[in-house]
Amino acid sequence: MSEAITNPVPAAARTEVIDRADRLRPSPRRGLGLAAATVAALLVAALLAVVIGSVAIPPGAVLALVLERLTGLRSAVAYPPAYATILFDIRLPRVTLMALTGAALAAAGASYQGLFRNPLADPYLVGVAAGAGLGATLALVFNLPSTFVGLSAVPISAFVGALLTVGLVVLSARVGGSMPISTTLLAGVAIGSFASAFTTFIMLRSPDGLRRSFNWMLGGYAGGGWDPVLIILPYLVVGMAAVQLNARALNVLQLDEEQARQLGINVDRVKLVLVVAATLMTAAVVAFGGLIGFVGLIVPHSLRLLGGPDYRRLIPLSAIGGAAFLILADLVARTVVAPQELPVGVVTAIAGAPFFVFLLRRLKRSVF
Amino acid sequence: MLRQPRHWMMTFALAACLVLAGCASPATVALTGTPVPPATVTAPAATQAAPAATAAAPVTATTAASTSTAAPTATLPPPTATTAATTAASGPITLTDSLGRVVTLAAPAQHVVTLAPSNTEILYALGAGSVLAGRDDFSDYPPEVTQVPSIGNESPHVNAEAIVALHPDLVLAAGITSPDDVAQLAKLGLTVYATSNAANLDDIYKDIQAVGVLVGKMDAASKLVASMQDQVAAVKAKTASVTTHPVVYYELDATDPSKPWTAGPGSFVDQLITLSGGTNAGDIAKDQYAQISLEQLVSQNPDIIVLGSATFGGQTPAMVAARPGWQSIKAVKNNMVFAFDDNLVSRPGPRIIVGLEKLAALIHPELFK
Repeated sequence: MSEAITNPVPAAARTEVIDRADRLRPSPRRGLGLAAATVAALLVAALLAVVIGSVAIPPGAVLALVLERLTGLRSAVAYPPAYATILFDIRLPRVTLMALTGAALAAAGASYQGLFRNPLADPYLVGVAAGAGLGATLALVFNLPSTFVGLSAVPISAFVGALLTVGLVVLSARVGGSMPISTTLLAGVAIGSFASAFTTFIMLRSPDGLRRSFNWMLGGYAGGGWDPVLIILPYLVVGMAAVQLNARALNVLQLDEEQARQLGINVDRVKLVLVVAATLMTAAVVAFGGLIGFVGLIVPHSLRLLGGPDYRRLIPLSAIGGAAFLILADLVARTVVAPQELPVGVVTAIAGAPFFVFLLRRLKRSVF
Repeated sequence: MLRQPRHWMMTFALAACLVLAGCASPATVALTGTPVPPATVTAPAATQAAPAATAAAPVTATTAASTSTAAPTATLPPPTATTAATTAASGPITLTDSLGRVVTLAAPAQHVVTLAPSNTEILYALGAGSVLAGRDDFSDYPPEVTQVPSIGNESPHVNAEAIVALHPDLVLAAGITSPDDVAQLAKLGLTVYATSNAANLDDIYKDIQAVGVLVGKMDAASKLVASMQDQVAAVKAKTASVTTHPVVYYELDATDPSKPWTAGPGSFVDQLITLSGGTNAGDIAKDQYAQISLEQLVSQNPDIIVLGSATFGGQTPAMVAARPGWQSIKAVKNNMVFAFDDNLVSRPGPRIIVGLEKLAALIHPELFK
């Protein structure tokens, strides 16, 4: 990629430039191997996370209960009824929620890093976290009734807060018809700081709200069950599709915005679509999962180091890798000091950061 | 420029400090102004009213945020015709909890998980410690409770797996439990009763009565409430005649000794200091749990400093004397700085009366010899 920037190809040689952009990956075969490895990691992580928990359920019982659920046949052994409740009403929905959350955060992180051409970009860059935090805190402090589609007002309010904040950032950052990157980043930081300062102020004014909104930030929504999974799924499908459809444009954007424009890419539309898609995904998962750091940073960078910077590949790989990573992090979070649980964000940072540094040292390659 | 995530981390760290301070202080029992319906008992209520009534009246008169003016036991309807008045319930028990949820038990609970130390202490005080199947991590009294399996604590959320695995027939949530956590446990098929976010002694009495009904210990609950009310009346009788009302500063946290946290108007500590015949230095604050400046404290010039911060912050009178700027305070000059067990006043359970008696003995030692 750096090669492409230092030796820009004349705009006339259009197809050649796009070809180069497409050929950013080292080798097709290696990419395939990496894809297989990531999927395998996801499957193993999911399996482990279902079998292991703060309450020990023998793997045999897990297998028997899952078979019983799938086939309808009663198993010969009568397991305690608590096993089925723990497995199907607590653990499975949680593992699924973590998978979706990890996928959304990592894919959104990858698209933001590409869009802003900045390795430090993460899904919370343009105010999603601050806005969601403000929304959740307001709902908690004012004790909004939890009647909306049978859900707590907290995740809904967090979602709306995130969308409003990012909307405000995008509106403030627009200059004429375009959205300059530096202005967007600055507007994001300014409005984000405002929202988080306001959140802190409200929290301090209400001791009870303080504790609850802190718990939300660390641990997300407590409701559990399958409802959160079903609610965030549509946002994820739409967001993921939108990001993936713009992956090729992201590749071209890495060269130079002006050059991409000359190559016929509607840069402003691509930017807007990507910001909206990444925001929708992030806001949906943050509303239920709380603020989980580092996934959107470490997972895309690790996969970029291993598999190259082609966004058509990097985005789906990040989604799968992010799912696997967050499932494992959550597994650690709920077992390492059981019966106490750790906030999953603590694990993602403590485990993720050293792993990432290890990768950086090991591969001795430029990250971005 | 791209530091937003870090900025959030800093906010978290700040919030973490505050939350820890909050957990270690009566902040966790603060009532935030939400009207909570009183627990109404439709189960066989025993003969709890009679001995308590006279002692209760003066208590309600002095509690700052009292929602009821009658004796607490007056909200309990008379025993139903179908059940014996003084024996344990044999029919189904139906109660409305502090979240307005209707909770039904087929029979008194035999297998209880508590989610807060106050509820654990109520169970033991009722002589029902044997029904405790699980407890939260903060429950550490009476000492033998540490033999009971812990289900962790609720930060960030209760561990539903661990609770379900214990097969409780009743989960005793508290005012500090998140309503979302309560909803989640109920959705998993558990029977959950949330005691009140107690704001005054009456709320504690009601919680004790309700727990008594739920575990079939109505008589014990009535006796406990009556004896608590007697003890409060005894303290009040002694302090009624005092002519001086020493200024008392109760310290919740002094991580930053130039801006310590104290208990403001309406808090339990405030109510107990008033009952003890003292004046709460924290009354100048607006909130129940407030950070005040050392300047304000020095100008209040408290006669007595009570270190609730000894429990979780490890503060000692010697440390207070060494704090810059604190030597000019009367209490420091006169060696009237005392370490105190904050758990006695931060947990809305039976031991709050012990807290009251100890506070009163510190404030008016001449009356409590």
